[in-house]
Amino acid sequence: MSDIEIVESLKRDLGDKALELTNPDRRRIFLKIAPADLAAAAALLRDAYDCAYLATISGLDKGETFEFLYHFASPVVNINVRTEIPRTDPRLPSICGAIPGAVLYERELQEMFGVVVEGIPDPRRLNLPDDWPEGQFPLRKDWKHVRPQEVIPGGKS
Amino acid sequence: MSFEIPIGPQHPALKEPISLRMTVDGEVITGVDIRLGYNHRGVEKVAEEKNWTQNIYLTERICGICSHSHATCYVQGVEKLMELAPPKRGLYIRYLVSELERVHSHLLWLGVAGHEAGFDSFFMYTWRDREIVMDLLEMISGNRVHYAINTIGGVRRDLDEGQKARILEGVATLRKRSEYYFHIGANEPSFVGRIAGVGMLSKEQAVSLCAVGPVARASGVARDVRKEDPYAVYDELDFELCTADTCDVLGRVVVRVKELLESYKMIEQMVKGLPDGDIACKAPRKAKPGEVVSRYEAPRGENIHYIKANGTDKPERLKVRAPTLGNYPATVEMLRNGFIADIPLIFAAIDPCICCAERTVTLVGARNGEERLVTLGDLRRLAIERHQSAPPKRNAVWPI
Amino acid sequence: MLNKLTRWSRIKSPWILHLNSGACNACDIEIVAALTPRFDVERFGILLKATPRHADVIVASGPVTRQMRDRIVRIYDQTPDPKFVIAVGACAMSGCVYRGAYNIMGGIDQVIPVNIYVPGCPARPDAIVDGVVKLLGKL
Repeated sequence: MSDIEIVESLKRDLGDKALELTNPDRRRIFLKIAPADLAAAAALLRDAYDCAYLATISGLDKGETFEFLYHFASPVVNINVRTEIPRTDPRLPSICGAIPGAVLYERELQEMFGVVVEGIPDPRRLNLPDDWPEGQFPLRKDWKHVRPQEVIPGGKS
Repeated sequence: MSFEIPIGPQHPALKEPISLRMTVDGEVITGVDIRLGYNHRGVEKVAEEKNWTQNIYLTERICGICSHSHATCYVQGVEKLMELAPPKRGLYIRYLVSELERVHSHLLWLGVAGHEAGFDSFFMYTWRDREIVMDLLEMISGNRVHYAINTIGGVRRDLDEGQKARILEGVATLRKRSEYYFHIGANEPSFVGRIAGVGMLSKEQAVSLCAVGPVARASGVARDVRKEDPYAVYDELDFELCTADTCDVLGRVVVRVKELLESYKMIEQMVKGLPDGDIACKAPRKAKPGEVVSRYEAPRGENIHYIKANGTDKPERLKVRAPTLGNYPATVEMLRNGFIADIPLIFAAIDPCICCAERTVTLVGARNGEERLVTLGDLRRLAIERHQSAPPKRNAVWPI
Repeated sequence: MLNKLTRWSRIKSPWILHLNSGACNACDIEIVAALTPRFDVERFGILLKATPRHADVIVASGPVTRQMRDRIVRIYDQTPDPKFVIAVGACAMSGCVYRGAYNIMGGIDQVIPVNIYVPGCPARPDAIVDGVVKLLGKL
């Protein structure tokens, strides 16, 4: 199936739920849906479009909202699903029911952006160290790191 | 009665610190917990403060063995954002270095697999041959590792006739030596018997846990970004997608061996068919606002970068997903129901971007909590002895 | 007399422990490549050991991440005296490209005292061998 056919078929299957559907480049489709439809869309992509493979989940801090992109891939096309959630209420449903391999990426989202992924099978930290203070989310735009003073051996400063 | 054995983070075998806690019941592993984060350097945050060219050198240093793959994946994406069309000669040189990197990475891994299976002379032989590839890379780019040959719009250095002849000579030597090793591997029943049946991952599990690279291809899943999403020169070259059906460590060795032979073919095609022209085109300082998803087939699997630009000379967001991270859920599945003695072999078989070495394993008694320090070298020696005294698996056959 | 004997054996055959504290693996591959037939550091009597308790020299690479900081100190304490530390690569010296990242403390010398610095990104195996030989010359 070519890109145009996939776009048409997605419009038919998702109807109103597809808020925005673009095809900017060969083999790249960007689809925007609401967070509540996420799990259903993941199951649909897995069953009908041969996209059982989730490459990764990217998060982006846009100021007022957080935007998340789920990068699915099938042997002929890359479908990237976008959702936005407000910064004041950062909650997201988990897609681990449809795609068990997504658990690591969702854990990373939780610790880097402070999003609460509902229904995640394993909510522990992934990358940040054990003694990282709570409430500090490194990938938010307003989080700046202050470098501690370095000690130069030999005593010079 | 089940014990919990923590492995890592400091271990001489695996160069990368990582902590695995295995819950074991006798000799059989019942549960695995992987603790990442020892190597987390916050690259994505640093990338937002450097401009497009500085980020090439930053993404290169995400990994040492597949450094060119991260840099190339990034540069591919940025060239799309800036709407540049690099000249053909530049692209050929860039992907020539990619295939040389694949050769060096697979040879490194073969040595590691040999070392973990107890076959140390194989380790020394393959690493000696790897030096041929390192010399070629140094001749092309100036450094053995972290060859910063990419620039936005093409490559930095050119190839001349003498260098092309050296590359073809080097590849011919390597091909002869590789075929000799495969002959050894095929006729060495203890080696094949050691790795057959270890670390099983069925096709359905590989698909549902999103495994990538040779790990997925050894379970029969025919996915390769070079075939599905061909970028630049890969749709002009003639090569095959290598898969195996045995779903175990033997299958992974076979897939990487086949990929080595395919890479030699591709390198020869690229050197002989190198077009004339410029090697780079001029790149602007700022990129127009937009976003791009860039995928690349690194030696370990699929590398994916998501880059978003906002019109300045720094990226708004750079998201990197290295292939080994995609294989972790599959590793947990593979280690389950295996033996403790197989841990180094299974973990090395996913090619976790680290070399083999020993690790110190702390055995914590589940009932009384006392600790006993056991080196992984001892565990490995125990595994090799146990395997030698067991009857060999006569029906394990080298498939190629 | 016994001192001279132990000093002689330490110079003639130092055993090393390789410690990676969050590096990109390039320096680690070069350290392991130093053992392979091309550079062959084992002809100097240098052996790569598994545990800190057997080692004379710690060869450390990589910038120090927050998670690894306590573990490095613990490993340094586990190594018996006299011990020496070689910092290999630009990351171990000052943090290389990662300076300013939120999870990085800086070079190895922010955590443990270092005797020899081997520059390079990554440091070539010949440079690593040269660094080890210079250390032995100081003993």
